[in-house]
Amino acid sequence: MDFSIVWEHLFLVFMSVLFSLIIGLPLGVLAYLKAPIRKIILWIVEVLQTIPALALLGLIMIVFGAGKLTVIIGLVLYSLLPIVHNTYIGLQGVDSGIKEAGKGMGLTQMDRLISIEIPLAFPMIFTGIRIATITTIGAAIFATSVGGGGLGSVIYRGIRTQNMDLILFGTLALMIMAIFFDILMTWVNKHLEKQV
Amino acid sequence: MIRFENVRKQYGDNIVLKDISFHIEPGEFVVLIGPSGCGKTTTLKSINRLIVPEGGKIYVDGKDISKIDPVQLRRGIGYVIQQIGLFPNMTIEQNIGVVPKRLDYSKEEITKITKDLMKMVGMDYDQYANKYPSQLSGGQQQRIGVLRALAASPPIVLMDEPFGALDPMTRTVLQKEILSLQKKLKKTIVFVTHDMDEALDLADKIIFMNEGNIAQIASPEEMLNNPASDMIRDFMRNTSISAERLDLTAGDFTKSDVVTAYKDKSIRAATDIMARNKIDSLVIKNDDGTYAGVVTIKAIRRHGKSTGTIGDLKPYENITASIKEDAKKTFDKFYDSPDNFIVVLNEDNTVAGFITKSSMAIAMADTLWGDM
Amino acid sequence: MNFFNIYGERLISAIQTHLFYVFTSVGIGLLVALILGILLSRVPQYAKIIMPILSIFQTIPGIVFIGLLFLILGMVPITVITALSIYAVFPILKNTYTGLLDVDPALIEAAKGSGMSPMESLIEVELPLALTSIFAGLKMSTIYTVNWAVLAAMIGLGGLGEFIYIGITSNDNQMILAGAIPSAIMAILLSLLIDFVSHLIIPKGLRRVG
Repeated sequence: MDFSIVWEHLFLVFMSVLFSLIIGLPLGVLAYLKAPIRKIILWIVEVLQTIPALALLGLIMIVFGAGKLTVIIGLVLYSLLPIVHNTYIGLQGVDSGIKEAGKGMGLTQMDRLISIEIPLAFPMIFTGIRIATITTIGAAIFATSVGGGGLGSVIYRGIRTQNMDLILFGTLALMIMAIFFDILMTWVNKHLEKQV
Repeated sequence: MIRFENVRKQYGDNIVLKDISFHIEPGEFVVLIGPSGCGKTTTLKSINRLIVPEGGKIYVDGKDISKIDPVQLRRGIGYVIQQIGLFPNMTIEQNIGVVPKRLDYSKEEITKITKDLMKMVGMDYDQYANKYPSQLSGGQQQRIGVLRALAASPPIVLMDEPFGALDPMTRTVLQKEILSLQKKLKKTIVFVTHDMDEALDLADKIIFMNEGNIAQIASPEEMLNNPASDMIRDFMRNTSISAERLDLTAGDFTKSDVVTAYKDKSIRAATDIMARNKIDSLVIKNDDGTYAGVVTIKAIRRHGKSTGTIGDLKPYENITASIKEDAKKTFDKFYDSPDNFIVVLNEDNTVAGFITKSSMAIAMADTLWGDM
Repeated sequence: MNFFNIYGERLISAIQTHLFYVFTSVGIGLLVALILGILLSRVPQYAKIIMPILSIFQTIPGIVFIGLLFLILGMVPITVITALSIYAVFPILKNTYTGLLDVDPALIEAAKGSGMSPMESLIEVELPLALTSIFAGLKMSTIYTVNWAVLAAMIGLGGLGEFIYIGITSNDNQMILAGAIPSAIMAILLSLLIDFVSHLIIPKGLRRVG
């Protein structure tokens, strides 16, 4: 058994969630601040997740060719929804009294976002990151189909060669990975919530 | 109509009803009142078996309700709750028709009932019947809540703080409406509240509860005049504005910084005092300090001379009040008089102070809202 | 256009297979989820223990079910349908359960106080009020199922995944598009369809009124 493939899978997931966060967080803030474009942003990220992951990867491969870049672009797009959505919901849900107080003390909109609203919304945003991570762990199995490697290749090979050990190794690794991150991140989330 | 015999309810070690017994006559409007946790809501909910007591018996219409199927029992008892509880997925007409529909009323009958009931509370059928609860104001929603309870003409209606969530204006209006509905329909109503005013306004009979016991059962008048314990008296004072006002006397509103002068003061000196204090009237005392009357600057001017004492002037007979007098009586007198102030006298007829119209208004406002 | 002359028929049959997988699995999932959700909502004290355990199923990627069931059942459509059904259950189950539990207790008391039996209260008050939440779960399940159904091709059982796989392995962009575009459209259309149906079914009084 080659464990490097597990790390490869994790690498894909980590990079995708990271970039998804870099893109998704500003989009969520934008949706919160600018009512007119809110619907458009939320609609686009929803449609992106509606498209089957493999189809999305296939479409991106046509432009960027096979390889890890295609996988990461695809998975970023795929995991945008929970991050953008939760950022927006989290910011929206900050107690209006607190927002008012920030305004009353003369903080600018940027000040309020960075020093009050985003920290208070962070547990909600983190929930979005957790959902994105779990979804991406699953979706990353399609990476192998567009030349990105990962655990999908093990399972795929196992199925083609009717090799039980390979299938078991692949599925169990995936399952453990998903459950481990879910439990870990839920735990972190609880602590974040306590702090806020 | 409803009879409780040694009804007992406990949650673990916490006894919420301690063997209570009482009965309610047909057509009576009974209000259950008491501090929170006194068991009033538990008592109410035992009547339609939303709560099942551990001991004792409850009879409705002579029948032991523990032997009646709860669903059947509840269809014969109207129920209104504080949270209104209109089903948001049903229209107003469907909400009103919930119980009649279960009792196999025809659609036409339900429509007729809805129309009649809505008319009674002044809501237009065509305008509202097909609306959903969320499209109505809070007051309108609770009107429908009451109508829903009445729809299948149950002889008994239970109301659990039905107006507690409404603003004071709407509340007063709905209290009036419920009284007029009661007069028309002659229901037996059991009504829970923690507001003494509401109880005094609505009840034929008040059942005052405290810590799972019944502290007093009495008509509103009797409870006001002879509260069975200090606890009840305090409760009435604390929760009820009108009850509190009854205890106030003229003395509670008296300003003591009244400017007085003895009869033998010279007119010149009296004018000086008035000028210094920027007042146009002076309260005059006899030699023994008792009240003699009031002189005004007008009277002095009419007198024309600045020589002599104010005792030479004919004192104006200003209205007076005894310090122990019921404040309401004092105020009524004051309203009917052209005088600008009222002189308040001690029991030995010496001057205690005075009340002006503005000081009365301020004091009343303090009493009414000061503690809130 | 030459592409459709050659593959047109195969594409249509692939769409049909795909839809068949989705409808059957979501149908079974919906039925199981509704029953379980209602039962669990009657015993919230047990549900508090059971729900977190079931939520692990949500965490596990769909391919795990297909992979494991493939080991047990082999290369038959029932493998795909069972795997997808299991996967479809959870979002609906969770939303049915929370939807029912979120119903204002005052309304349930009002229903009880008006003499509704528990069954009447469930059907006439609680379920209609939980519909918004149930439909959200149904939509999620459907989208997931369309997504994971492409895996059927992985074990040689057809569907739109077949075109995508063939396209990818043979570097044939036309084939990729022929699989990807219909499956994307299918997911979007189905989610719109569910929105539409929910708009028809969810009682008007529950919509936000201005």
